[in-house]
Amino acid sequence: MAVKILTVDDSKTIRMIVAKAFRPYECEVLEASNGVEGLAVASKEKPNVIILDVTMPVMDGPEMLAKLKSNPDLRSIPVVMLTAEAGKENVLRIAKMGVRDYLVKPFKEELIVERVGRIVELKPRGDSAQKHRRIDEEIKVLVVDDKPAIIDHIKKGLSDLPWHIEGVGQINQAFDYAQQNVVDVILISLSLPSDAGFVLYQKFKGTVKTRNTPILGMCVKIANEEQTRAQQLGFTGIVTKPIDIVDLRSKIVRALNLDTSFLYFEHRDTSLVVKIPVEMSQAVIREIESCLQQETTKAVDAGLDKVILDLTKVAIVDISLVELGLAIRQVSQDLSLKFAVLGSAEIQTQCRNFQETKDWKLAESFEKAMEILK
Amino acid sequence: MVSEIDELVKEAVKDVFSTMLGMNAEVDPKADQKQSDEELISGAVGFTGKITGVVFINTVSRFAKQITSSMLGLSPDEIDGDEMVNDTMGELANMIVGQVKSRLCDRGYECVLTVPSVVRGQNFSIESTTGTERRVIGFNCGAEKLKVEVLIKHENNQ
Repeated sequence: MAVKILTVDDSKTIRMIVAKAFRPYECEVLEASNGVEGLAVASKEKPNVIILDVTMPVMDGPEMLAKLKSNPDLRSIPVVMLTAEAGKENVLRIAKMGVRDYLVKPFKEELIVERVGRIVELKPRGDSAQKHRRIDEEIKVLVVDDKPAIIDHIKKGLSDLPWHIEGVGQINQAFDYAQQNVVDVILISLSLPSDAGFVLYQKFKGTVKTRNTPILGMCVKIANEEQTRAQQLGFTGIVTKPIDIVDLRSKIVRALNLDTSFLYFEHRDTSLVVKIPVEMSQAVIREIESCLQQETTKAVDAGLDKVILDLTKVAIVDISLVELGLAIRQVSQDLSLKFAVLGSAEIQTQCRNFQETKDWKLAESFEKAMEILK
Repeated sequence: MVSEIDELVKEAVKDVFSTMLGMNAEVDPKADQKQSDEELISGAVGFTGKITGVVFINTVSRFAKQITSSMLGLSPDEIDGDEMVNDTMGELANMIVGQVKSRLCDRGYECVLTVPSVVRGQNFSIESTTGTERRVIGFNCGAEKLKVEVLIKHENNQ
């Protein structure tokens, strides 16, 4: 259920600023223009937090607060006071009223989000929609490493994707960048001096804007202590140096749950074709496996009755590819789909070298595969 | 005291513009006293108590619309009618004078704020009455200008 935030302020401007501040988060912002309206909305909607102005006509903030506190149904709702008057006496008076926090106008939107984020969990809007984001959409990646060569390597390696890679060497710069921009995933070097990578991780996790952002640690393979520490802290994953770009891409895909199915699955005629790319790797196999069930089910729904594993771009058939083929065949059988493998004579021979493929139907062209599956 | 209030106003205007609008408001020592031919809008908030006065935040309505657009994160086309601009100018004045009032209270000049009000029109001027001192502070906000008028009731009249 979405978090409900009630803003009670006689200024429509302030209510609109509050609504704007929380727009990037999964929450509903309710509005009231004075204490009387505020109490009515609070009783009906039971908000998770109330942002309450002090000076208002009809019923001011302190009076509404007193009424909230005397109502057993409403007294536990946390209240953040918003005031244009920051004098010492005023602040002391507000603090004694039993409010959770207070903010002085003028205020930065980030500050109000930060304070409310300490009271309720704010999830960035789009977390649930991320399942539908495709790998070929713009993704913002923040890379924090004091070695410019690492940043360059990542930028060059991912340059075939429309991703924006922002590289910074200092943790303060990284933190400021992530506060001022929407970052989808963060990569932090775990070998920054004075444990700065771990300090930065904790800073990001303590901030509403980046609390739910996936963070991958980067370190050399033999840095076991750093890897263990990162896992214990809750890093989303580890990317080992020297960085294998295919592995990095795959880890980002998994961290963001990006859709890669269109790279591997295609509907052709009455068949679902599973295309194996030239650059075959464990990461690619994992990506195909992760959407296999969903894609075959969609194929059945679309009226297709065949699955063809396309190995025409593959040079070598190894055991991992055979295992993937067996998994595809099993899913096909479960859904009563016919199964065949497409590949050159050489690939067919390589397939036959594996006992497990003895009952695979092999064909050199798509047309022949369709024919033998009739 | 009046010069102290001048400084408090300068500080508050700079602070509010920087925080709410991400805009630098620089004091313009050669503030233009002439009236603009364009439509003007003035947001005003007063303070009354051990010290009494009123602060007017004046600008042309074109800049007021730009301020509203920036403050609310809307495109100028989305600002529908005068109400939104009036409300924003009132709130801007409230924030500026609220900060001044807080500093005055901290210095022992207890006072309370009045509700914000907004005046629109062409070729109008704000004048002081007997026993009231009028100060004008000009600001450059990028290419636009802002004029803040402060009316303070003389202490011996309170």
